Amino acid sequence: MKKEGLNPVQHFRLREKETRFRTPFFFLRILLLAFFVLTPFLFRSFEVLDVILKIAIFSALVASYDVILGYTGIVSLGHVLYFGIGSYLVGIFMGKLGWTSYGHLALSFLIAIVISGILSVLIGLFSLRIRAIFFAMVTLAFMEFTFILSSQLRSITGGDDGISFKLPGILAIDFSYGKILGIEFTGRLISYYLIIIVSLILFLLMLRFVHSPVGRVLQSIRDNEQRSIALGFRTYHFQVIASSFASCVAAVTGGCFAIWVRYVSPDSSLSVPIMLDVLLMVIVGGMGTLYGGIFGATFLMVTRAFLPKLQVLIASLLPGVPLAIRLSERWLFYFGLLFILIVYFFPKGIVGTAQEIFSKRRGS
Amino acid sequence: MTSQWRSWFHKLIAVAIFLSPLLLINPKTYITITISGLAMGMLLFLVSSGFSLIFGFLSVLNLAHGALFAWGAYIGFSSFNLINQWTGWGGSNSLLLNFIIFFLALILAGLLVALLGIITERLVIRPVYGSHLFQIFITVGAMIVLEELIRIIWGPNDEVMPVPINFMGSWDLFDVVISKYPLMAIVIGFILYLVIFTILRKTKIGTIVRAGVENPEMVQVMGHNIYRYFTGVFAAGSALAAIGGGMWATFVKSIHPAMGGEIIVFALIVAIIGGLGSMTGSVVGALMVGLSYNYVAYLVPKASLGITMLLLVIILSIRPTGLFPEGT
Repeated sequence: MKKEGLNPVQHFRLREKETRFRTPFFFLRILLLAFFVLTPFLFRSFEVLDVILKIAIFSALVASYDVILGYTGIVSLGHVLYFGIGSYLVGIFMGKLGWTSYGHLALSFLIAIVISGILSVLIGLFSLRIRAIFFAMVTLAFMEFTFILSSQLRSITGGDDGISFKLPGILAIDFSYGKILGIEFTGRLISYYLIIIVSLILFLLMLRFVHSPVGRVLQSIRDNEQRSIALGFRTYHFQVIASSFASCVAAVTGGCFAIWVRYVSPDSSLSVPIMLDVLLMVIVGGMGTLYGGIFGATFLMVTRAFLPKLQVLIASLLPGVPLAIRLSERWLFYFGLLFILIVYFFPKGIVGTAQEIFSKRRGS
Repeated sequence: MTSQWRSWFHKLIAVAIFLSPLLLINPKTYITITISGLAMGMLLFLVSSGFSLIFGFLSVLNLAHGALFAWGAYIGFSSFNLINQWTGWGGSNSLLLNFIIFFLALILAGLLVALLGIITERLVIRPVYGSHLFQIFITVGAMIVLEELIRIIWGPNDEVMPVPINFMGSWDLFDVVISKYPLMAIVIGFILYLVIFTILRKTKIGTIVRAGVENPEMVQVMGHNIYRYFTGVFAAGSALAAIGGGMWATFVKSIHPAMGGEIIVFALIVAIIGGLGSMTGSVVGALMVGLSYNYVAYLVPKASLGITMLLLVIILSIRPTGLFPEGT
């Protein structure tokens, strides 16, 4: 195999092609995908399906956040803004305007992508210019602003009540295709598979992006900005590119989320708590790994699904102790503590630590 | 044009912009709105000055500042109620007793939150000095924990903030309605500004802090234990946030656990507009935000937040580092 005259990206791809089937990771990925595909057949309860699908959506969202945070090294605190834009456009098109057709659904996604792209480029243009830390502050301010806007503009966004809507054709709730392998194929299930496919495509797109020449430059900016500048890269342009790419991906995941829950409101798709969730997922999974998002989302979603049961248990064990009940209600408190502890003792997250262990083993 | 002329020219334009709402609002209402705008500005200054100073000196983007603000409001609320139960000064007709109980509540809030700030700085932020990324995460974590602690201790619901009797109502001067409390807030805010300014300008500690904003390593080289000053500045910033919280709560007459998250965005904007690490910048930025917010809230209520964002965008595009340089 000739290896002269290849740039590092081509070199990396060649090596990956050679070792593709030899590593266990390939089969792990297939297994994971198979799990997502087979979930409706394995678990018959809707709750489980709901959790699994949210894991898929949030994995893609967290991975898109990771492109900014872990690969480019700039902190955005308003990434959920684009998620909200995606959700709201689907909501407004389907619910407020009542244009329930496939064409309009696609159009709403397209407009969401365009708006998110333009907005993120604008925010990047005037806040990344001086200090990367401004970016964190300005994105946070913009998200808060949009959040308040979405709850104030009642005529467009439905205010705090949000918009609930119907979806066209085969995605509609009352649609039923009949039974396949003992499972009834309803609109819900079809949207489940649609969203899984979209998430998969987004994930592959992001993998491609971070391993592309542009992605390489981004990582070099993260590791040593001065040096990248000295090498002649306009780091500022690359940072804006990364942030707008990630924002577009986030907008699509937001649209998918809206399709699944068939409802948008400021609290469910545009609020600071969701941003905190995303941050926690990134930290738990590991920054700069993309796959970390899956672990982070799984961890958080599963814990969150089980927490109410735990709460009932504590309430039944300690009746009449208001402080204990209050302490058990405030699960966000423990997430905050966990957040701090992970940053201290486990800063690479699950995937990062695993990678470190593997590379050590390979090295020795 | 000489530079002196130029600076006067800029000031003139600024004054003209802030007088321009007079074209749309009648003068009496204008004065009332201006007073509440200045009051809001002074209260914002209390929050953002600490935030800005902490960023300038420690280079920590302290997102937990809003939570400390909320803690200040809640401690002010509790101590006011406690003292009032005990003495009944809040309901008495004497203005002096009203002031005493108000200040006692504020001082208690300031002291306790300063303590909380010291604990936060020591336990949470100290281990990650130097890493911007982890600092942001850790302060986000601290913000969640502090805010949830409020919910655990005081409960998750809104509470009505008690106000001393003489602070309510308004004076009527030649048909111009002047609310009492905003005027007091302006005065207290201005006094605090003078105090901070004098400490920073005239005392040795202030000089060290200002030097630290410019170059922390050099301060260390000169033989000062900079970490002690870090803790001190953090505590002072927290105390300012707490006093701001208590006064803000009295201003809007209600408190809720998430109030810090709302104010932190304003503090961010003010700090960016004024220039991070600049006291003068904080006060100017806070007044700009407070005034423009109130004028627009009167004229076009729904655009009031928009004007704040617009202000941020304009300032960032003409002066990307804010209006004033660090350390002024």
